Amino acid sequence: MKNRLLSNFVAAIVTLLFAAFVTTGYGADEKITVMNPAIAGKIAPRAPLSPRLDTLEGKTIYMVDNQWGGPEGAYQLLEEMQAWFAANMPSVKVIVRRTKDNMFGDDPVLWKEISEKGDAAIIGTGQ
Amino acid sequence: MSRHARDVEELGIPVVATSGINIVSYALGYDRTYNNGMPIRYVAFPFPIAGQPRSVHKAYVAGKDQLTGKPLMTAVIEALTVPLTDKEKMTDTATTAQPQSEPRFLTSDTEENLQQLFKDKEWTDYNPIVLPTEERVKKMLAATSHKPDEVINTIRFMPGNREVTVEKVAIAAVMAGAKPEYMPLLLAVATRAPFGNSTSSMANTIIVNGPIRKEIGMNAGTNAMGPYNDANSVVGRFFMLISRTAGDYKNNVNAWESLGNNMQYNSMTIAENEEMLPQGWDPLHVQMGFKPTDSVVTIGTGWTYISSLGEVQPAYPAHMLIRDYMRSLSALGSAATIFVDPTVAGLLKDVNGFTTKRDFSKWLSGSVEKTVASYWGNGVIMTSNMAMAFQGLEPHATWAKLRQDSPDSLIKPFNNPEAIQVVVVGGAIQTTWFVTDFRVGRGVLVDDWR
Repeated sequence: MKNRLLSNFVAAIVTLLFAAFVTTGYGADEKITVMNPAIAGKIAPRAPLSPRLDTLEGKTIYMVDNQWGGPEGAYQLLEEMQAWFAANMPSVKVIVRRTKDNMFGDDPVLWKEISEKGDAAIIGTGQ
Repeated sequence: MSRHARDVEELGIPVVATSGINIVSYALGYDRTYNNGMPIRYVAFPFPIAGQPRSVHKAYVAGKDQLTGKPLMTAVIEALTVPLTDKEKMTDTATTAQPQSEPRFLTSDTEENLQQLFKDKEWTDYNPIVLPTEERVKKMLAATSHKPDEVINTIRFMPGNREVTVEKVAIAAVMAGAKPEYMPLLLAVATRAPFGNSTSSMANTIIVNGPIRKEIGMNAGTNAMGPYNDANSVVGRFFMLISRTAGDYKNNVNAWESLGNNMQYNSMTIAENEEMLPQGWDPLHVQMGFKPTDSVVTIGTGWTYISSLGEVQPAYPAHMLIRDYMRSLSALGSAATIFVDPTVAGLLKDVNGFTTKRDFSKWLSGSVEKTVASYWGNGVIMTSNMAMAFQGLEPHATWAKLRQDSPDSLIKPFNNPEAIQVVVVGGAIQTTWFVTDFRVGRGVLVDDWR
């Protein structure tokens, strides 16, 4: 009986060891070399900001909703910022606009208008 | 937002960009490094913004900037008036920006440690992978005529312009547990990597047509969508792994899907059951203009699927219930993909009179109605389509007007039948079907990758 138990035990250990070897093919301490799945990203070229203003007093600020979250996403928030300027810095002229296209599009016409008629811009999303 | 801010800054106008703190965190990190490059100044609101009443927005403006803790409007004013730092004036890297480097091999280690490393690097789905030794990768590479260093896709979303080579595909194929004979299909799939990644929690479907299905033993019959087939399982897992490795998807870094989507584990990878198509119903790839003998993989992007649950009832046949269930979909791009068991396809043709898939798509296009308020109630629809309404483009302009004037009006938002696909899959065990919102792209010819 004892011998039978012992032989069963040994057989079980051998089976387990064999199964582990078949599954992985590597010993627990064996060092292996594998290939790297990652791909290097390309860093975006850096560009400087434009100079800041001395003050916002008397200046024109464009507030632009780029329509992420829908046309009502950030627009109402920008209106509240506009109201803050009216109450706290009334010399600041605020123009609230939406981009022509959705968030994925561009609006060079609006950007040109801002550069010609504005002094600063706040660009917001509803996200 | 950062792109628009950069466009205006480049015209000499100081800008502050504003968003929820979650988006600002992404903009300051991954987006700035790999995409924008300009140190845009941000002010962060609490999240969410869209959908909040005016009283909440008023409180946001009176509250704190989530980045600096300063009063929000003080932060806005400072962003536009505080002089630039030397770093913000920096231009010297503009012409010297270089790719980061990744070694071809990882540092040797034990299997256990390497399995853990792959998890720590977020290169897996947290199930064990097959470690990509050079020998295993070589076997995979031997299954295609394409050279290991050939660039087959440049992943720009998320940014980084990561160039996916044949060798990187082979590495991910080994990790997924693929057999070498899967390689042509995996290369074709990799040209469409990575999977959908959006705050809205997207998913994909991978539909395979043509001889490759049988060559690699894909399942188009019973349990095709379940975990019962090696090729279906591994191809779907590969798409997830190549997205996470080559696409560099990192949780809360550049993958910021609010709920996530369970379908991303396998991307609903199936083969169409072409052998059980009713006569006159073409396989998906043939509908796209490929030859029946071409092997093609088609990848769709969406969010949702809805099951019929039970069998078709003659008093209210499948096409009517499919129509009803499609009302729950967003109709973005008029897109839907309907997966039907061969038995349902047979009923639709023989009993209900849809002699082709296209007939059925046209009927659905003309039959699915939802209220205009419900249509615009979807945020993705609002974000994507309202701008077109503002530009006067139809039917969006009319639908936007109806939203104001008569929100309960019914519209037919699936106005393009070409965007409604019907795919036959399943084992003729039950007359069931799935309605999904997947929008499929152009199929990829697998034979080009042999």
